[in-house]
Formats: sequence, C-alpha cells, structure tokens
Amino acid sequence: MAKKRLAVLQKLLEFSGINPERLRMRWVSSAEAVEFVHEISEFAEEIKKLGTNPLKEKDAA
Amino acid sequence: MVNTKIKETVRALLVEGKIRGFLGLRGENGHIMPHLFCDPQELESLSLGDWKKAGDSRYPLNQILIRLAMEYPEETFAVLVRGCDERGLRELFKWKQLDEEKVIPIGIGCPDELAKVCECEKPFPDGLIDGPRGEKTGSQKVARINEMGLDARFKFWLAEFNRCVKCFGCRNVCPMCFCNECTLEEEFLVGKGEVPPDNPTFHLVRAMHMVGRCIDCGLCEEACPADIPLRTLYKKIADIVSEEFGYKTGYSVDEKSPLNIIEVK
Amino acid sequence: MEFKTVLSTCPYCGCGCGMLLEVLDGKIVGTLPSKTSPVNEGKLCVKGWTVHEFVMSPNRLTKPLVRKGDILQESSWDEALDFSAQRLKEIKEKYGPDSIAVLTSAKCTNEENYLLQKFTRAAIGTNNTDHCARL
Repeated sequence: MAKKRLAVLQKLLEFSGINPERLRMRWVSSAEAVEFVHEISEFAEEIKKLGTNPLKEKDAA
Repeated sequence: MVNTKIKETVRALLVEGKIRGFLGLRGENGHIMPHLFCDPQELESLSLGDWKKAGDSRYPLNQILIRLAMEYPEETFAVLVRGCDERGLRELFKWKQLDEEKVIPIGIGCPDELAKVCECEKPFPDGLIDGPRGEKTGSQKVARINEMGLDARFKFWLAEFNRCVKCFGCRNVCPMCFCNECTLEEEFLVGKGEVPPDNPTFHLVRAMHMVGRCIDCGLCEEACPADIPLRTLYKKIADIVSEEFGYKTGYSVDEKSPLNIIEVK
Repeated sequence: MEFKTVLSTCPYCGCGCGMLLEVLDGKIVGTLPSKTSPVNEGKLCVKGWTVHEFVMSPNRLTKPLVRKGDILQESSWDEALDFSAQRLKEIKEKYGPDSIAVLTSAKCTNEENYLLQKFTRAAIGTNNTDHCARL
C-alpha cells in the first residue's frame, strides 16, 4: 500500500517542481542495523549532491 | 427545451410512486438552486439555468444525496446526473456511501462549450435522458505544466498556492469528500492560524487524497476565491493513477480504486 | 420530508455574499455558495462556508442572562430590559454619557444598526459607537 502511495507521491512532487529523487523508500528491518545506517548515509550523500531543498529557500525568503 | 424530457421522466417516476423525490435544480428570479422535487407540480420550476456556462448551474448534488440517504435510508431518490456525476455515483456506490438500489440517475449530456471548458473526458452519462453525447477533450492545462522544467514548475505552483486563504471551499464543495474527520483539519499535520496554509503541503495533501477519488467535476476550482488551478493538479493525479495502476476513477462499476485494495502477499 | 435550498445573504462582513442554505425538514444542515450571485459568483470564505453552524449551535443563548453577583442567571426579557435601562441611566448620571459605548454587529440588520446608533447618539448622548467590521 505504501509503495503505491509513494509511487503517486513521487510523480506528484515532480509535477509540483520538487525533485522526486529527494524521496526514497526502502524496507529495512529493525534487526538490520548495518543496512539501515548504510542506506541513510548513502541517501544523505545523494541528497547533498542535489543541493538545498527549494522549500527551505522559500521559507528563508 | 432540454427540460421537457427530464420533466416527463421524473413526473412518471413520482406519479408511479417509484421515488420519494427528484434531486435537481430549481430556478427562481434568475437564481439556480438545488431542490428536492417531491410533487409533480413543482417540476414547473425545474431549470438548468444558462447551462452552457461552466460555472452557472452545477452544484454537488451527489453530496446532498448522501445527506438525504443518511436521513432517509429506506427511500429511493432520483438525481440529476451529468457525465461527472455518474462517475461520482459509481465510486460512491463502491465506497458504500450510497445504495445503488435506492438511486435512479436522470442523465443529461453537457453541451460542447461546457465540455471544452471542463476539458472533460466524457461529458455525458451512460444512462442519457437528454442532452448531447459530447466528445472527449484532451487536457491543455496539464500539458502546459508538463512542458515546464522543474524549477519553473516549482515557482508556478508556489505562487499559485500562496494565494490560498484556507476557506476549505475546494473540500467543502467536493461531491466525493465525505470523511468525518478531515486530515486537513489535523493540527499536527497542517498548522492552524496560518494563511496561506503550509505551502505546498496543504494542497499536495489534498491532491494525494484525490487519488482514486476525484471525478473531475471542476466544482473545486469554481469554488476557489483565489483562482488556484486545482483542476490541473487533480487531473494530473488522474493521469498518474491511470499510468501507474491502469485505473480511471468512476469508469468501472466494480473495480476498486488501487488505494482501496490491500494486498496480502 | 422536505429538502430545499434557500437563497440568503451572508450575515458576516460587508461583502454580502450570496449563499444557499440547505434546509432538510425545517433545519439548516449546510451551506453552499450561490453560483448565480454576482457578488461572489459561487465562492465563499471560511466564515461563509460555516454560517449554518451557529444557527443550531448548542452554545447559542436562548434566554436573556443577568449577572447577579458573580453568576450570569437566566431571566425574563422584562427583567433584563428594566435592569439594563436602569443601570445605563445610573452610569450616565454618575459618569457622563461618554462613559458608555455601543458596539454593533454585521449580524444585525441595517434597521437594527440604525436603531442602535440612534439610541447611542440621541438617547444616551454619546458618539461612542462602532461596528464589529472595524475590529
């Protein structure tokens, strides 16, 4: 169900001018601590490359 | 006159006692308003107004019907339906807000001018009593946004949503909105006392809630005092849902909306 | 059973938006904007949309209340009016007419508002009168 919603949300964000790559979904169990850290760190790096979130700039303006 | 066939059909239903009343539109002093016709004599005042204009005589009749059905669940009602209303009824039956056995649709087709303004996919209901069988119109509004780059889109939408005065008109008038508790009124999701409401959260949340629900009637955009192009947003949602799940809201009598199906693997 | 919509004007601000009150079996159950009204053309603000709520609200006063000690107690119209007239006279005599102010409301009719300001100016003798729209 969440997968379906996210698929729609990603396209909606893109239509609204927000980079859909800023949203990602992964399934990680609470027992998979190492994978969890890895996923988050990797995603954080990717986000940084995408630059400041335009919504943040709009708030600052 | 368009009204004649409708009046005849409804008169017969009333006289034969098949319906408690007909939910349609009445004209008085140049004003068009929803009305429940229970007496055949009342039908003289039936009026669709200047029905070629997009805004003029369209009201959320399905919404009123739900209210009547809740109060009088045993009664059968007839209701004026356009193409969009029929799509709405199909979904409301599936969502169990209305009982198919208790609703008799009286179908009218929308004229070309109206269908074009609405960019309607199907401006006539299947059960057509009167009015034309209009043609489908493709959406220019969505195409225009699709052509813009990401930044341009962002600027566009942010500016549009910025005019929002949080009147809740879009939600209040929507014939498909029947939730007793609305997400948009939850304080921890949408802050209170802010105008415009959280930009773009408020409108993106509403758009997400239109998934598998919006029938593209356009009443929301007509009710918006700030002229926000809500329909464009919700039409895009319909496109996304169609692409991702092959589902088109209001076209199937038994197929459920994709977000209404919980798959257990 | 009876369901009808009644054309009315919003009681709040000075815009005077046209609205349709949804009336089911004699009770107001909802509000819709009037699409044929030239003032608002089918649109309403949040106050207009919720107009029907105050009509049947359990919080509405149904009897006059007079403060006795610390408590507001239900009273009759005669008692409330006599009490108000007497106290206003006393205050006017003791502190002068300018010590009294009268605030009117958009929910009142034009005629009621006229009476109120006439009462304030001619009967009480002060021009301390204003209207909720200016708040």
